[in-house]
Amino acid sequence: MRPGKIKRLIAVVEKEFIHLRRDPRSLVIIFIMPLVMIFIFGNVLSFDLKKIETLIIDLDQSSLSRELGSHFAASSFYKVFSFETPTISPTGKVDYLAKAEEWLRQGKIKQYLYIPADFAQRFGRRLEPRVLVVIDGSDANVANRVYQYNQRLFAQFFSRALPAGASSLPARIEIKMYFNPEIISIPFIIPGLVAALMLMISALLTSLSLAREKETGSVELLFISPLRSSEIIVGKTIPYLLVSLLVGLAIFVFARVFFGLEFRGSYFLLFIIALIYILSGLALGILISTVASSQKVAMIATLLGTILPSMFLTGFIFPLESLAPLLRAISYIVPATYFLRILRGVALKGASLEHFLFEAGMLLAMSLVLLALASKKFQAMRQAKR
Amino acid sequence: MRFFFLFRKEWREIFRQREMVALLFIAPLIQTIILGYVVRTDITNIPVEIVNLSGSLETRRLINRLLASPLFDVKSISREPVAVEKIFKKGKIKAVIIFEDESKGNNQAMVGGLDENYSPAVKSGPLSFPRIQVLLDGVDANSAMLAAGYLYGILGQSLARFWQREYPAASFQPMTVIRFNPSLTSIYTMGPAIVALLLTIITILLTGIGLVREKEQQTLDTLLVSRLTPLEIFLGKTLPMAVVGLIEMTLGIIVVSFVFHVVPRGNLAYLFLAALVYLFSLLSVGFLISLLSQSQQQALFFCWFTMLLFLMLSGLLTPVENIPGAFRWLTVINPLRYLIAIIREIFLKGNSLAYFWQEILIMAGLGLVAFLFSLGIFRRSVIK
Repeated sequence: MRPGKIKRLIAVVEKEFIHLRRDPRSLVIIFIMPLVMIFIFGNVLSFDLKKIETLIIDLDQSSLSRELGSHFAASSFYKVFSFETPTISPTGKVDYLAKAEEWLRQGKIKQYLYIPADFAQRFGRRLEPRVLVVIDGSDANVANRVYQYNQRLFAQFFSRALPAGASSLPARIEIKMYFNPEIISIPFIIPGLVAALMLMISALLTSLSLAREKETGSVELLFISPLRSSEIIVGKTIPYLLVSLLVGLAIFVFARVFFGLEFRGSYFLLFIIALIYILSGLALGILISTVASSQKVAMIATLLGTILPSMFLTGFIFPLESLAPLLRAISYIVPATYFLRILRGVALKGASLEHFLFEAGMLLAMSLVLLALASKKFQAMRQAKR
Repeated sequence: MRFFFLFRKEWREIFRQREMVALLFIAPLIQTIILGYVVRTDITNIPVEIVNLSGSLETRRLINRLLASPLFDVKSISREPVAVEKIFKKGKIKAVIIFEDESKGNNQAMVGGLDENYSPAVKSGPLSFPRIQVLLDGVDANSAMLAAGYLYGILGQSLARFWQREYPAASFQPMTVIRFNPSLTSIYTMGPAIVALLLTIITILLTGIGLVREKEQQTLDTLLVSRLTPLEIFLGKTLPMAVVGLIEMTLGIIVVSFVFHVVPRGNLAYLFLAALVYLFSLLSVGFLISLLSQSQQQALFFCWFTMLLFLMLSGLLTPVENIPGAFRWLTVINPLRYLIAIIREIFLKGNSLAYFWQEILIMAGLGLVAFLFSLGIFRRSVIK
């Protein structure tokens, strides 16, 4: 770069810093909010089953049926309760079911087990016993897991029917989780949150910069300045790059201190990749800012363009493998997809960053394309004014 | 009815820019469709690798079961031990299923950490089964748990058949009925809620920047010297957004029911009642944000923060019951949580007002608090 060019770039950077300084409260807000969010969401988001309200209607009242009840109650996933003083009457049966159905509808319980009166009897005669399970399917994900977990509890319970020493299945199936043996969601959620928040913050920061100048009319001054369009776009991005880097750093430190997000491998490489990732978010924001005619338009476009895609289309919550090819194709243009893959790999599996050069390259390419598009659009606007 | 003039002005203001029509109505609909397809996708095609060290016929039968299942995408079947950890680090394979060699004594070095009384084969009657190891990449806890469940189900079911003749009780299968959503498709759970989410994003933002914008453009004074009371300003600023929100919701529900065939079982009139009360509470919060912020940028950040909190604590992505006690109060003051609960009750359970009038009252109460608070600080914050 020639010295003159650098000087011009610095002028734009300086001007943008003045903008930043003028609204210091915004800066404080953008620092504190992500940390508050990480803290809350990290504590709150969990896909683990917990306290699934389970009603047991035990018409048998035998020792075996009671044991089945306590087998369910012993599970930390379920919160089991049964009707007070169940009496077995010819009509009682019907009433219990109606009551249970009503509770299910009200959402008081998530599932109920109905154990008919001949339960222990059939078991004693070595017939297959009968139990009815009714699950509330209105949260499909929860219902699915409750179903799977029920199957396991039943299999464990009925292994007692087998001769001593045999396991419930003729072959042993051993399940072992790698990297996250307790299957807690936190190590899975935190990288997703970090990636989503960093993308949103960086895009939000730049999304207003040019749109604001359009509203106040000061963009005209930029039009007639000797600066090249690309210099204006890059110069406007640099100050926010510093801000987002600091925010990103704070997020990482925070995630590490409170949620034990650890990294094995080179911090320098991680820094470089984070830098590229932030750049892609900033470039997205500045492109939106260039296209939008007002701050209002820019804000809505940025929020719609980042919030839901960075959570739904990156593998944060829904695994990408299951998606249809078209949707997977869309996920490839969401920068958070790549950064999330890197973070999960590095933080949880201890994979070295060298494995993720493709992802880093994609992020870089995306940033450059977005920046180029923004300067092209800016140039077109300039030409139209002439 | 003086506020009507303000309403008309705001209404025009919304649509003054051509892009706004696209952003308000078309973009959310496209997102609804895309995200609808995302959530409709149930977890399938879990990429797995099979290591078959056993030569038995039973093993081959089990492997065929896995190959036929749409839940798994078997990437390769090898007959050699593999370095499991290395495979997982690459991130392409989510599970490795190992059928051990019954004839060989010990190959635990391959994975390590197995118990003492190790015997690779389990004798059961005339048949000989290999020991099966299911090794999962636990990073994505959610899908790993599901994959474990599926695998246990498929393998377990095929294996249990062998017991059935001798010990029927041991192959017990409960009769399971799933109410309200028997096929357990997530789109029923998520589709209408996504519509609610998108309308939240747009309306709270537009209300949130409403007054700040006027502050920035120095038109607020004109508004203040007019004879409009703060209440009228509130109505004039929020009602157009409420109308936009209701239109958006109507369009969204039409799209969801046509594209995904999600048809409400309950009365849609209740849904509109709930949505209206929700919009009141949401827009009161938006109005409050508009009073508290000094620039559009600040309003943007506040709105962003609020909508993410609403979204994450709404029970849409993870059940509200999972939230630990210290944070529970955050869900109590979250109007979106009640709206999503009501949407599910109306769409899936077909419930009537008797089941959710309390939720509606709570939303109204929350809205009232924010509304009164913003009226209280109105003078102080606009004159500054």
